[in-house]
Amino acid sequence: MALMIPCPTCGLRPYTEFWCAGELPEHGGEASEADPLETDFQRVWLRRNVAGPQVERWFHAAGCRRWLTLTRDTLTNGIHDGA
Amino acid sequence: MTALDFEGRQVPVEPGDSVASALFRAGVRVFSRSFKYRRPRGLYCLTGDCPNCQLVVDGEPAVRACVTPARAGQRVERPTGWPSPDRDVGSLLWHLRSLMPVGFYYKTMLRPRALWPMAERVIRRLSGVGPVARDRQPVRRERLTHYADCCVIGGGIAGLAAALAASDRGESILLADEGTIGEKLAPGPARTRALELHDALARRTGVTILERATAVGVYEGPLVPIAADDFLHLVLPKRVVVATGAVERHPLFVGNDLPGVWLGRGAARMAGAHRVAPGREMVFWGATEESLESLEVLRRAGVVLKGVVLPVGLARTLNPAEYPLIADGEIIEARGRSRVRSVIVRTTSGESEIACDLLVVSLGLEARSSLLRQANPAFVTGTGDVVEPHGVPPEPRREAGCFCLCEDVFTKDVADAWGEGFQSTELLKRYTTATMGPCQGAMCHRHLTGFVEARTGPAPASRATTARPPARPIRLEDLAAGARYPLEYRTALHDRHLGLGATMEWTGVWKRPERYGDVLEEYRAVRERASIMDVSTLGKYRIAGPDATEFLERLYPCHVKTIAPGRSRYSLLLNEAGYVFDDGLICALGPQGYYVTVTSGGADQAEGWFRDWAEAWSLEVHIGNVTATYGAINLAGPRAREVLAALTSEPVDNTAIPYNQHREVTIAGVKCRVLRVGFVGELSYELHHPRLESEALWDALLEAGKLCGLVPHGLEALRLLRLEKGHIIVGQDTDFDATPAKLGLDWAARMDKREFVGRSALERLGRLERDRELVPYRFPGPGAPLDGAQVLADGERIGYLTSSRFSPVLGHGIALALVKRTNGTVPSTILAEDGSGQRFEGTRAQGAFYDPEGVRLRA
Repeated sequence: MALMIPCPTCGLRPYTEFWCAGELPEHGGEASEADPLETDFQRVWLRRNVAGPQVERWFHAAGCRRWLTLTRDTLTNGIHDGA
Repeated sequence: MTALDFEGRQVPVEPGDSVASALFRAGVRVFSRSFKYRRPRGLYCLTGDCPNCQLVVDGEPAVRACVTPARAGQRVERPTGWPSPDRDVGSLLWHLRSLMPVGFYYKTMLRPRALWPMAERVIRRLSGVGPVARDRQPVRRERLTHYADCCVIGGGIAGLAAALAASDRGESILLADEGTIGEKLAPGPARTRALELHDALARRTGVTILERATAVGVYEGPLVPIAADDFLHLVLPKRVVVATGAVERHPLFVGNDLPGVWLGRGAARMAGAHRVAPGREMVFWGATEESLESLEVLRRAGVVLKGVVLPVGLARTLNPAEYPLIADGEIIEARGRSRVRSVIVRTTSGESEIACDLLVVSLGLEARSSLLRQANPAFVTGTGDVVEPHGVPPEPRREAGCFCLCEDVFTKDVADAWGEGFQSTELLKRYTTATMGPCQGAMCHRHLTGFVEARTGPAPASRATTARPPARPIRLEDLAAGARYPLEYRTALHDRHLGLGATMEWTGVWKRPERYGDVLEEYRAVRERASIMDVSTLGKYRIAGPDATEFLERLYPCHVKTIAPGRSRYSLLLNEAGYVFDDGLICALGPQGYYVTVTSGGADQAEGWFRDWAEAWSLEVHIGNVTATYGAINLAGPRAREVLAALTSEPVDNTAIPYNQHREVTIAGVKCRVLRVGFVGELSYELHHPRLESEALWDALLEAGKLCGLVPHGLEALRLLRLEKGHIIVGQDTDFDATPAKLGLDWAARMDKREFVGRSALERLGRLERDRELVPYRFPGPGAPLDGAQVLADGERIGYLTSSRFSPVLGHGIALALVKRTNGTVPSTILAEDGSGQRFEGTRAQGAFYDPEGVRLRA
C-alpha cells in the first residue's frame, strides 16, 4: 500500500515516514458531570471504526516530528487536508 | 566470436540475440520439461508469457530465456531432465498419467501415513521446474522511489502514445517496459512507429523511461513496484496507465504443447528479428490480418509452406498459386513424439494429415490484463490491446490438449474436475492449479472462463478469477530489496566499546555493550569499587517555556511543581488507559525549565507523546529532543566519588550533590550535568555532557579510575545490579496493561493530584479487583531459574518470572514474578520451572533484595 500524506510542514510525503495514531480521540474533552469515569472510559477505549471518512492523528516521525490531523477515507485512502 | 556457455558447449551469440534465439540458432529444440509429465517443451510465444523457455542463467533459476539478452560468457542450463533434457526418462510419466488424475494428492497416498514423506521426496525430484542453486551469491538490491504524475506500464505503441499525450498535458511520466522498446515487434511499420514515439518521448523533460523493468503489480495507493536489475523501483504515481498489450491465443488441440508448435508473433520474431527460420516445412493456421503479416515474414525467411489454414475471407486475399490455401479448416491435432512431425487438418470435406516440422498458430489476441484486473479502477486505466484487442475473431472452442502449460494441466483434467463437482472458475483453479503457474494465467485464463461459460452461461460461476501480484515471475531478491538494513543507532562511545572487546547487543534500535568480559567482575567493580557505563541511549529532553511546569504537572503522575530547582524526581509515564509505558527522571532547572529523561527504548515514542499533549492542551511549551545531543556516562560504586573528585576542582561531596539532586560540574574539562541517581543501588553519578566530548570524558574516567580498579560494566551486569534493588525495566518486567498498582508502585501515581494523564483510568481500575501483581521472590540455593520461568502454586500455573538472576552478593536466586492474586493476595511460596527439568522453590520477599534502606546509594 502506498499512501501520500500531506504534511503542513514538509509537503506530500509517503506514509512510511509517519506513525498513525489512529482515530482522533477527544483529547482533554470536558468530562461529563454525571459520570466522568464512564466518559473517560469511552474516550480511552471506544472507537467508531468507521468505513468512510475518519479524522486521524498522524506523527511525522521521519520528518518534521510534528503531529497533524487529517481526514482519511478508510475505504479509499483518499485524504482531505485538515480536520 | 562471442559465445555463451550452454551446458558445457560454446554457443555463438549474435547482436540482438536473446538467450533463446542464440540457443535455437545452435539447434536447441527442447528448452524445458513440463512440470508434471516431463513432456518436452520448445519455444512458443517469444514474448515472455509462456513458461516453456525458463532456464537457469548464471545460477538464477526460472529465467525466461526469450526476454533475456544473450551475453558472452553467460552460463546457461536447462533445469530438469535425466539423463538429459532432450531425452528425459521422466517422460514415461506421460504414459502413467491415468495413475495421476487431477487432484491425485488429495486422493492417493493417504495411508499408510508413514509412506508420504518418502513419496514426497520422490515427487519433489520428479516434478517442478528445477532446483534452486544453493551456491549462488546472494544479490543485494536497493529500492529507489519515484514520484510521477503518471506511471505507464508497457512501452508498446499504445503505452508510448499515452505517455506522450500525458506529457503534452504537463504531467511527469514514468514509463516502464519489461523488455527494450520495440524489441518484441518484428521489423516493420509497427516497430518503426514504436521507435519514433520512443525518440519523441525520450526528448521530453519530466519523463523517465525504464527498460528491462517489470511491473510486479498495481497496489493500493497507487504503488507500482517495478523489478529491474539495478533497483526495485517503487513508483508512487497519481495515476497508472496499463498498456501491457495482448498475447496471442493459446490454441487447444491435441499435441498443442509439442516443440515445433509456435505462436505467430513468436515465429515471426525468430525469423524476422533474429533471422533464424523456426522450421523448414510449415503449416500455418491464421485468423486475423496480423496473422498474414507473420505469414509473410516467415515466407520471406524461406520457410516452405505446406498448408495455410485461413478463414474464407482472408484466404481470398491471397494468391492460391503462391499459397497452399485450406479455407475454413482447423487443426485438430499435432503429431510427433518429441517434436511436430505432422498435423491433422479438418475441413468440411474431411480430415487430412500434412507432414511438417513447424505449426504456426495465429488466431487473435487475449488481453494481457492481469495488472488491470488487480487494480482499483479509480486511478488505473488501460489503453490499447489490453483493453480491447483489435480485429479478433471468435475463438474456436475446442477442448483438447494442454490447457495450462505452466502447471501441466490438460483439458481432460479440467473436465474430470468439473465432473467431480468443482463447477466454477475459482474452484477449478484451486483444484487443478490451472492458471497458478509462472505465467499467472496469461495463456490459459481465458480457457478457464470459457470452459465454465460453455457449461453454465455467463457469471457468476464463469467470472474471471481474482488477479493478484506478482503479475510476472519475480526474484526473491526483489522482495527483499532494501530490507537488509535494520536501523542501527550507535552512541559516541561505540568504538571505545569495541576497542575494549565488548560483546554488543541490540536493544531496540541501539547497539550497546552486553559485557566487556567477565560479567561477575563487572558486577563486583560496581558493588565494591567503581565502574562506568555508557547510558547515552537514554531518551533526553529539554522542556521549557512559560507553561513548562503546568505541562509536566498535567502529564506526569507525580508532583512536578514541588520539585525544587536542582532536584530530580523519578516518575512513571502513563498513557490514558493508566498503563505504564515508560519511566524516567524529571530534573528541575529553574527558569530554564526541565531536563527530562526516559528509557533508551522509549525516546521516540515519548517525544510524540509530549508533543501530542502539548498540542492538545494548547500550552506554550517548547519540547527539545536532545537524545542525540548529549551523551551520558553513569559512574557508580562506593568509590565513585574519589574518581570524580580526581577529575574536578569543584565539590562533589554529599552536601554539594546530594542523592536525587543534580548540578552542573566541569569534569575533566567537560561541562557535565551531574545527576545523583540510584538504578544500580550504589553511590552513582550520571554525567550528561555534549556527545562530542563523550570519548574524552570516558577516557578520563578510565584513567582516573585506575586508583580503585575501575572497569566498565555492560547491560548484563546492569540487569543483575538493578534486580538486586528490585527496580523494574519497563518492557521486561511490565506487560501491556501494567498499572502502577500492578507493579507494586502505587506511590508513583499521586491520586491526590486533581489531574494527570491516566488518572481517571486508574480511579476506574482502582474499583476493580486487581488480578495480577509483580512480586519479588527469593530462591535459596546455588542457582536461579531462567527469565520467563513458569510459576506454580499448589500445582496451578499462576504466572511467570519477568527477571531472574543469581545474586552473588546475597548468595541466592532473586526474581520478579508477575503472578495471579487469589483472595487479594499472592502465594508466599512458589515453584518456578524453566524447562531445564529443575524446580526452584521460592519464597516471597519484601522491598529491595539488596540494601533495602538505600543507605549505600545515599552515601
